[in-house]
Amino acid sequence: MKRIKSITVLQHFLLIMMSIIAIFPLYWMIISSFKNESEIFTSSFIPQAPTWQNYLYAFAEMPIIQMLFNSFVVATLMTILQLATSLLAGYALVRWNFKGKLLIFTLLSLTWLIPFQAVMIPNYVLINQIGLNENPLGIVLPFAASTFAILSIYQSFKSFPTALIDAARLDGESDLGILFRIILPNIRSTVVSLGIILFINAWNEYLWPMLVTKEMENAPIQIGLKSFVNSDVNMWGSLMAATTISCIPILLIYLFLQKHIVDSFVRFGIK
Amino acid sequence: MGSIKVEQIKKSFGQKEILKGIDVDIPDGSFAILLGPSGCGKSTLLRMIAGLEEPTSGSIFINDQDITYSEPKDRDIGMVFQNYALYPHMTVFKNIEYGLKIKKIDKSKRLNMVNKVIEMVELTEHANKRPGELSGGQRQRVALARAIVKRPHAFLMDEPLSNLDAKLRNQMRQELIELQKELQTTFLYVTHDQIEAMSMGSYIIIMNNGHIMQKGTPKEIYTNPANLFVAQFIGSPPTNILSYGDYSIGIRPENMSMKEDGHNVNADYILTGAVVSTEHLGGESIYCLTTDWGKVFVKGESTWQTPNKESQIAFSKKDVLVFDKKGERVRDVDLIENLLAEMQVSNHRREAVVL
Repeated sequence: MKRIKSITVLQHFLLIMMSIIAIFPLYWMIISSFKNESEIFTSSFIPQAPTWQNYLYAFAEMPIIQMLFNSFVVATLMTILQLATSLLAGYALVRWNFKGKLLIFTLLSLTWLIPFQAVMIPNYVLINQIGLNENPLGIVLPFAASTFAILSIYQSFKSFPTALIDAARLDGESDLGILFRIILPNIRSTVVSLGIILFINAWNEYLWPMLVTKEMENAPIQIGLKSFVNSDVNMWGSLMAATTISCIPILLIYLFLQKHIVDSFVRFGIK
Repeated sequence: MGSIKVEQIKKSFGQKEILKGIDVDIPDGSFAILLGPSGCGKSTLLRMIAGLEEPTSGSIFINDQDITYSEPKDRDIGMVFQNYALYPHMTVFKNIEYGLKIKKIDKSKRLNMVNKVIEMVELTEHANKRPGELSGGQRQRVALARAIVKRPHAFLMDEPLSNLDAKLRNQMRQELIELQKELQTTFLYVTHDQIEAMSMGSYIIIMNNGHIMQKGTPKEIYTNPANLFVAQFIGSPPTNILSYGDYSIGIRPENMSMKEDGHNVNADYILTGAVVSTEHLGGESIYCLTTDWGKVFVKGESTWQTPNKESQIAFSKKDVLVFDKKGERVRDVDLIENLLAEMQVSNHRREAVVL
């Protein structure tokens, strides 16, 4: 009895420690955004003279609202496209038997192993040639299909009862009808969970949007953050303020969809 | 309304041949049963008739129309699946209505058709529930209603009662028989349960290992099995098989009796055996004995008495089925007589008495 209790205490202690490690940077970001320039390098856990100055400066320095909007458009478009392509590809791979299916599946799985940096340059040249730089489409298109999403959908389609699909075929339903009217309503929670993960990933995308967009007005918020750090001067306070703002949409999503998010992390692993 | 004809159907999955040239001719309006052990290919055959699977070779006809490669929806058939396959996200009403909606049947006509069928399967009060809120039996009825509402040429059923408990299964069996009589439509019903087959079917097709073993009425199949497989597959307990040289001699447990029962005045033979176990089932008793030719089950009226350890079993010549080495039925009367005569000698030597 005593032993079980001490194990529980130990478990709680470890969990609390891990939570602190996870939450601390966020906490530090928020309090730093309220510290003034002279206080920013002190190790005080609460700002001595809290100020909005950093926020005002951040808003004055860059079009934060426009950039947030850009981020939102890019992340939403990317999520929708990735969901659409993975649903269609997953259906084809699970339901149809065609020549070269195994090859396609293997190639798809292999692309997962190629780091983005390796295809970045060819992608950049292509997007440039099409003339899509400085355009949200230029950020989104190379990410219109995601292997991770396709394989996740493939897995959940695989475990979908075939008898239901057979019944729908006997009822005269088409392939698209089966996908959208029979399968989708029954794996809605899987798709929502996947969508959340895809959205968060898209929101956090940094390197590629930075390559494609030079103008602040066209860039997502993450690119703007960089402007507070340069070779001359680092404006930590404003950087923290802007970063805090950039986190707000994701924090809001967490607040409203907490159950789904936990579910998606359990289902698909933390990417 | 719908005859089903299958000609030389073969089906392979990779290297494995599941169906090895099947010929079936199911007359219009019959209650046909595809019976066989699991893995014999019966469900594959049914799925091919439904259009859910393509045959490797051969042809399928419904109402004399070649539908071998038609889409499932163009075959005019209703199918009931083993696990019901109801759409979980739709209400009972919507489940039944779905096929009609896709067929673009006029709304008022559609509602009328669905309501009629829901009434017929007595689910009116559950029309707005989802399948998850229904019991197994009710779900089964929704599945039936979904097939009925399309007014198909034929109904295909893939072990539809196997998920129900014994009592409900009996009840549904009766309901299906009545339904078939009412609809006057061809039913093709897949099962591995020989009791279900015997009690429901007007025509039974027995399959094993991708082949058809025998086709016929329940009576023909029971009284006149074409081979050892059918003799052993039909009947519970299965037909007793006594091995004698190259031949197998089959006698059904219900055609044997314990000598002391006194029901065996017309019996031609007596076999001696040692009683291993006795099961009193109420209306009847099943005795298991070991004899010199193997284990033997005897089914008789229940006496509620434990028989003597050493007992004698009586049976008649007319109930004896003989099969050759390949398991085919031997109908050569002389050969059978000779065999039995030889066995009598053996019998005699083994202390069995000829009456």
